[in-house]
Amino acid sequence: MINTLKMSFKIDITYAINSFIYNIKRFPILKDLFPGDSLYKSTKVKAFVRVLALILSTARIIFFKALYFWIIYLIASALTPKNITTGLLHIYFIFTIIGLFFNNKVLTTSTKKYFSIVLFNMNAKEFMKATLWIEALINLLTHSIFLWLVIQKPAVLVFTAFGFLGRFIGERLNLWHYNKYKISLTYNYPLYWTIVLISFGLCLLPLINITVNPIIVGIIDVIFLPLAIISYIGLMKINNYKLIYKRLNTKVAALNSNQAKEYSRQAMVDIKDKDKKIDEKKLKGKKGYDLFNTIFFERHKEILLRSAKMFAIISFVVIVGMGILIMLIPESKVRINDFLSNNIAWFVIIMYFINRGSIITQAMFYNCDHSMLTFNFYRNPKVILNIFKTRVLTVSKVNLIPAAIIALGVPVLLYLSGGTSNVMDYISIPIFIIALSIFFSIHYLVIYYLFQPYDKNMAMKSITYSLISAGTYLVAYSFTDFRMSTTAFSLITIIATIIYCIIALIAVYKKAPVTFKIR
Amino acid sequence: MQLTIKNLTKTYGEKVVLQDIDFTFEEGKIYGLIGRNGAGKTTFFNCLNEDVEIDKGEVILNDDYGQNKLKTDDIGYVISTPTVPEFLTGKEFLSFFLEINKDKLEKPKTIEEYFDLVKINEEDQDKLLKEYSHGMKNKMQMLINFIAHPKVLLLDEPLTSLDVVVQEEMKQLLKNMKKGHILIFSTHILELALDLCDEIVILNNKRLELIEKNHLNTKKYKDKIIENLRDEKND
Repeated sequence: MINTLKMSFKIDITYAINSFIYNIKRFPILKDLFPGDSLYKSTKVKAFVRVLALILSTARIIFFKALYFWIIYLIASALTPKNITTGLLHIYFIFTIIGLFFNNKVLTTSTKKYFSIVLFNMNAKEFMKATLWIEALINLLTHSIFLWLVIQKPAVLVFTAFGFLGRFIGERLNLWHYNKYKISLTYNYPLYWTIVLISFGLCLLPLINITVNPIIVGIIDVIFLPLAIISYIGLMKINNYKLIYKRLNTKVAALNSNQAKEYSRQAMVDIKDKDKKIDEKKLKGKKGYDLFNTIFFERHKEILLRSAKMFAIISFVVIVGMGILIMLIPESKVRINDFLSNNIAWFVIIMYFINRGSIITQAMFYNCDHSMLTFNFYRNPKVILNIFKTRVLTVSKVNLIPAAIIALGVPVLLYLSGGTSNVMDYISIPIFIIALSIFFSIHYLVIYYLFQPYDKNMAMKSITYSLISAGTYLVAYSFTDFRMSTTAFSLITIIATIIYCIIALIAVYKKAPVTFKIR
Repeated sequence: MQLTIKNLTKTYGEKVVLQDIDFTFEEGKIYGLIGRNGAGKTTFFNCLNEDVEIDKGEVILNDDYGQNKLKTDDIGYVISTPTVPEFLTGKEFLSFFLEINKDKLEKPKTIEEYFDLVKINEEDQDKLLKEYSHGMKNKMQMLINFIAHPKVLLLDEPLTSLDVVVQEEMKQLLKNMKKGHILIFSTHILELALDLCDEIVILNNKRLELIEKNHLNTKKYKDKIIENLRDEKND
C-alpha cells in the first residue's frame, strides 16, 4: 500500500511540476529564456519546482478545507448567532452525513484513476486502499485542527471521529449499491434528493433550538467502530476493483481528453431517445418554417424542459419551505416581508439564473443552424425574423414553467408574511416576474443571433458574446443592492421589457443576416 | 492458448447488437475483424473488455492454467484515439509504467531500447505527451501494451489515421507481438487487414464468421469478403 501511495504521489507531483513549467513557458519573455524542452529534462529546475509544487498542493488542500469550514461557520452564525459553536458542530455533523453517502472515494470518477489503473496498470485494490486511507486520515487531521481553532473542547474529536469511521461505512455502502445496481448512490436520484432535502431540514433544526448532542455522537461513534471494521473487511473482500475503476473512468478520461472535447459538447445537446419519435398530430396541417420549427422543438423537448422542470421543482420547494418557516418562526415574518416589499430587485438575479439560455442556443446551433447556415436562403432577413419570433415564443413558454411557480408563490408569501399596504403589489409582482422571464428568454436569443459565437466544433469563438454574457450577469447582480418600492420597480421592468423586445426585433431583422453565420 | 466465446449476446434497449456469438480465436494469430458501419465491432470489443455488461454468454481463456473466464488483466485494449497523461514526458510516462509493472515483466529492456522499438528519437522523449502528434501518442499506447504483453490484445482501428511510415512500423510491432498472444484487429480498410492479418473474421448479422481463404488469390479472396459483407440483412 505504501509503495502504491508513493508511486501515485510521485506521478501526481511530476504531473504538477510539468504543468507548472508548461504554463510558465507560455509567457512571452520566459518562453524565450527557456527554449525547447530542456526544462522538462533538467533535474535541478525540477527539484526546485518540486518543492514549490509540494507547498502549493498543501496550500491548496488547506485553502479548500478552510473554505469549507468558513461556509459552515457562516451558516452557523446565521442560524445560531448566540451560540455559533453549537450550530457549527451541528452543521458539520449533517454535512458529514451527506458526505458519507455521496462523497465517496472509490466511485467518483477522474481521469487520474483511468491513468493509474487502466494505463499504468496499478494494482486496483492497493490503489483503493491507499487513496481511501490517505483521504480519511487527511480529513481527520485537518477537520480536527480547523474545528479546534474555533472550539477548544474534546467534543470536537467525537465529531471528527464520526467522519473518520463513517468514511469506511459510506464507502462500503456505496460499493454494495454499485455492485448490486450498477450505479453509485449519487446517481440514485430519488434517494439522493430525499437525503439532501432531509439534511436541509435537519440543518434548520437549530432555529427551533434543537442541535445535535455530542454525547449522542459519542454513542454513534461506539456503534460505528465495529461497523467501520466490518465495512473495511468487506471492502477488502471485493475483488473487482480494476473492473469498477475501468468501467467508471474510461469514458470520463476520453471525454476529458482534448480530442474528445467536441464529442462531449455534442453529447450535451444530443437528442434524447424519448424525443426521437414525434407525435404525428402535432405536425398535422403545418408546413414550411412552421413545420421546421415544430420538429426542432419536439425533438429537443427533453433538453429544453429538463432544466425548466428542475428549476420549477426547486422554486416550489423553496417557496413551500419559506411558507413553513413563516408558520413555525414568527420572527422570520418581518424579515421575509421586508425583503419582498423592498428588495424585489433581487428577482433580477434569480430570474437570470433560472433562464440560462446557453444549452438551448447550443442545441439550436449544433442540431440545426450549424448545417442550415450553409444555405443562403436560411440567412434571408425575413426567414431569420420568422424563425427568431417562433423561437422567442417557444423559449419563453419553456421558461414560463418555473416563472409561473415563482409568480404565484411570491404574492402568497408576501400575504402570509404580513401583507402589503399597496394591494397593487399582488398583481404587479407576478407580471414583473413573468416580464423578467420573457426578457431573459429574448436576451439570450438576441445575443445568439447578433453574435453567433460558435465555430463548427461548438467552441466559443466570440469575445463580444462572452463579454455581453458576463455583462448581463454583472448588471443582474448589481440589482441586488437596489432598494425600491415593488410597484415602481415592477412598472419600470415591464416597460423596459417591452422596449427591449421592439429594439431586439428591429436589430435582429437589420443585423442578423450579416452576423448570423458560422465562425 | 485459445479464446472461446460462447453464446455471447448483447442488446441495447430493444436493439440486438450481438446475438449468440460462438467463436474460437487461436494463439499466435492476428485476426482482422471487419464489419460494416454500425455492425457492432466496438460493442464486441467492449464486451470482451468488460466495459459493458453482456446479456448472455461467456468468454473463456484456455491456457496453461486451464479453462478460466477471461480476466481484466488478460486483456489489452488499444483505441483509435488514445488518452494519455498529457503533462508527463514520454520518458517519464514509460519509466513510471516500467516501475509500476516491474514485478510482472520478464526480462525488461531499458527505456532506450523500448523507444528504439517504436522509433521515437531522443529529443522527443523529453517532450510532454501533450506535444506529441496523434501518431506518436498511438505509438506510446501500443508500446505499453507491447511491454505489458496481455494474452489478448484488442485493437480498434489503431492504424487508420497514421501516416504510411508509422503504419508500417506499427504493423511490424504487431507482427513481432503475435507469438504467444491473440490479437484481434478491427479495421475498415480491407487492404490493411489482408496485409497484416492471418485470418479475416467478419461481423455480419450480429454474428462472427471466419472467411476461409482456401487457396484463393488476393483478388478473389477480397471479392468473397465483400460478398459476405453484402449479405448483411438490414433489419
